Amino acid sequence: MELSTFIALTPQLVLATGTVFALILIAWQRSQQLLALFTQGILLLALIASIASLGDGQSMVTILLKVDDYSRYAFILVLIASLVVVQLSKTMLRRDIEVHDEYYVLLLLVALGAGVLVASDHFASLFLGFELLSIALVGLVGYLRSTAYAVETSFKYLILSATASSFMLLGIAFIYAQTGQLSFSGLAGITNAANVSDTGVLGQSLLYQLGFILFFSGIAFKLSLVPFHFWTPDVYQGSPTPITLLLATVSKVAMFVVLLKCCFNAAQIDVFQQSALADVIASIAILSMIVGNTLALKQSSIKRLLGYSSIAHMGYLLIVLMVSTTGGINFAWQSVLFYLSAYLLATISLFTVLALFEAGNPIEHRLGSDIKIDDWQGMFWQKPMLASLIIIAILSLAGIPLTAGFIGKFYLISFASQQQLWGLLVSLIIGSGIALAYYLPIIFSLFRESNKESAADAAVNTQTLTWSTLSFNQLFVVVLTILGLGLGLFPNSLSQLIASLSL
Amino acid sequence: MMISLLMAGLMLSGAFAWYRESKKEDSARGIVLLALIAAAIVFIFHIMNSEHDFSNLIIITQHAWIDIFNIEYALALDNLSIMLLLLTFLLALVALLISWREIRHRKGFYYFNLMATITGIIGVFTAVDMFLFFFFWEVMLLPMTALIAIWGHENRHFAAIKFFIFTQVSSLLMLVALISMAYLHQQQTGRLSFFYPDWLALTLPATTGYYLMLGFFIAFAVKLPSFPVHSWLPDAHTQAPTAGSVLLAGVLLKTGAYGLIRFVITLFPQASIEFSPIAAMLGLVSILYGAKMAFAQTDFKRLVAYSSISHMGFVMLALFSFNHNAYNGAVITLLAHGLSSAALFALAGMIYARVHSRDLADMGGFWRSAPLMGGFTLAFVAAAFGLPSLANFIGEFLSLVGSYQRFPVITIFAALGIIGSAVYGMMLFQSAFQGPVKNTFIDLSIREIIISSSLLTALLVIGLYPNLVLQFSFKGVM
Repeated sequence: MELSTFIALTPQLVLATGTVFALILIAWQRSQQLLALFTQGILLLALIASIASLGDGQSMVTILLKVDDYSRYAFILVLIASLVVVQLSKTMLRRDIEVHDEYYVLLLLVALGAGVLVASDHFASLFLGFELLSIALVGLVGYLRSTAYAVETSFKYLILSATASSFMLLGIAFIYAQTGQLSFSGLAGITNAANVSDTGVLGQSLLYQLGFILFFSGIAFKLSLVPFHFWTPDVYQGSPTPITLLLATVSKVAMFVVLLKCCFNAAQIDVFQQSALADVIASIAILSMIVGNTLALKQSSIKRLLGYSSIAHMGYLLIVLMVSTTGGINFAWQSVLFYLSAYLLATISLFTVLALFEAGNPIEHRLGSDIKIDDWQGMFWQKPMLASLIIIAILSLAGIPLTAGFIGKFYLISFASQQQLWGLLVSLIIGSGIALAYYLPIIFSLFRESNKESAADAAVNTQTLTWSTLSFNQLFVVVLTILGLGLGLFPNSLSQLIASLSL
Repeated sequence: MMISLLMAGLMLSGAFAWYRESKKEDSARGIVLLALIAAAIVFIFHIMNSEHDFSNLIIITQHAWIDIFNIEYALALDNLSIMLLLLTFLLALVALLISWREIRHRKGFYYFNLMATITGIIGVFTAVDMFLFFFFWEVMLLPMTALIAIWGHENRHFAAIKFFIFTQVSSLLMLVALISMAYLHQQQTGRLSFFYPDWLALTLPATTGYYLMLGFFIAFAVKLPSFPVHSWLPDAHTQAPTAGSVLLAGVLLKTGAYGLIRFVITLFPQASIEFSPIAAMLGLVSILYGAKMAFAQTDFKRLVAYSSISHMGFVMLALFSFNHNAYNGAVITLLAHGLSSAALFALAGMIYARVHSRDLADMGGFWRSAPLMGGFTLAFVAAAFGLPSLANFIGEFLSLVGSYQRFPVITIFAALGIIGSAVYGMMLFQSAFQGPVKNTFIDLSIREIIISSSLLTALLVIGLYPNLVLQFSFKGVM
């Protein structure tokens, strides 16, 4: 291996070595604060390395990994989300007597798994990243073992992600059986399909189609697309809040990006065109939009609601898989990356508020508490800053102008009209309409005059939330608010940045 | 530049008022009043001193905004938008004066939302970049929803959500249409463009044009509102605080008509002509259905709300008749209905402040104690059913004359709507002001007299001398 390949892989290598050093650090001194700081340092270092290498073009690192600008950008998103998770976890775990070393190590492993996923160019590295991410997450979702849902949550997640990965393995095996290729670049190169199937057309090979569907369903489990979505609300609700954020951002971003890396090439687009696969994926997208949004309607727990709404958002995003020409790939990537950035920002905002709100609760209710929409009642009048952040984040998720989410949706609709995907557009519109029916009540409840009891509660909250202890978090809330509005009003710089990236 | 500064000024004054209110009780409304008057005066002077005559669209601001989609921040003015902006300023002042005593809690935030709504409306009437138009279209929606949801009546959350979903879903259709239009422009000229004047130069394939036109039409028909998509309106109007109803009926509905004129008919003339029989039918159904439903209401505000559907039906019918007279009639009806329905909603608010009910069954014999209020109500009801010498008459007369040439049968039936409006109008007046005395209360205060008389004066002036408006010769697409 040459030096340049190492340089291309710097961010991932920083994380990998950082994880090892974290273990050594634990052996040397068991201090949670020190370890949290160390984790933040490692993530920050990887982030700086990624940002610095943005725009370096693509480079293969062995046949397993291919680092290009899109994967660098996706990794930046992953690292930012992980940094926020660490920060929120610090707030959550601060007052606990136990020393939570393994928590931070597992966090680093999740980030590393995501880093491998976004850069993978081979089914082997995909599987490696996938498992690294999943296994570390299983440890994390049930981490607060004294809480009500811990066992159920981690068990559910473990069983289902094991099932998903076995599906995926079988799918990969079928694909390999048909094509003799395991690397994405290799698959992209299959132009002459003579030895591939009886008819000579890859898209008409049943085994290949079956393989692809099995592979796709493995990914769909992670993206919680309908009909593989059943675990989502339970796991969202049962996990510690920062970990739910991790599930909602890091895992989704990484899985989606690797799916695109696998599918966005000439051969695969041809396969979609020739077979019913495109219809299958389109119907999964439509189902996810409608079902996800409909199920979210009657939820009272905010985390559950966000779980269901994430199903719908992944459904919207799936539209970009329907790209019909190689010329559309670049714009598809741009749409995805912008949409993901906006989605990430909104999700981070909401979970930050959730985590801060939990931190304000009395200690005995703090861990594993489940915040209801009604708990936020009247918040706008008591804590206008936090409430404004919620409003902007919700509007962003709903795709209303003034916010980054709208620009993301604008990208998606532009993409879909360019590709003339009218059916998907119609369901996107219907889905967004249904979504308003649960997003708006959250906002309204912020404005509702709170009754006496919760007003007293809020007084307690503001006392524990005295901002002097949380000044960093306060600053963070302001930054998130400004970013949410700023990207909605002046999306130019981000869209230019994304447009300047290339494969 | 002027308009941008005005919008920024209004927005900032709203924010400042919000801030001041937290320091000093009741300081917000004064600040907002001053800002609005100042803005209106500046606007009028600016228009009078301008070297343009605004018979065509004059681009006044153009800046790059989102480069990757070639989206610009572009504003323009012509006679139509100036007329509607003047209406907006007048009704904004009315809305503000109405709220003077009505709003008792969260005043600072209320005035902020009021100003934000007005800013959004000004943006809608001036934007000529389609993305920007859509942006303002939604921006005026948010604070309006807040006005309904926070300061509305008993069933406000439901009404606010319904209002928002109807408008949002339909405007997403418009978004799809306008993005497709931009890509069509790219196909034809090689350059993506959301700039309205660019679009005017496009040649549209017939079927594509028809579908794109439908996308825009549905969004504006919801806002207008027209028959099958009107059901948000009675709820929103009834539940909104008085100022909200005034702005909704007076200006927000006009943005729908404005969209039909500016975009649907102008951008897609061919498709619109093809579509016009359906649109005219929808207009007719709205006229008759609105009148029928208004007659069946027992809630003062709901009755006025249904009458709005009926009156906007005339606008729809007239616009799709493609006739100079009908077009002028539609524009005058817009202004006239803006003034008269705003006045009726304002009166509903004044009555509500006194008897705490909107139910006509709780009203009766008000004339005895409040003859002045009764007189104004009678005048506005008369305006609504098209009494000659008031503006509505001119508008509906011209609309009917114009549309008769193209849709004689439909127009004959539409004329029945005027009789209907007389019936429900008189019923409204009769059940509130005559009959056995159910309540006695104080007559109008000075503030309320100012509101009512300024609206009545405007109606009279346009009604007696319609050339004041017509001299601007709305050319439109004819």
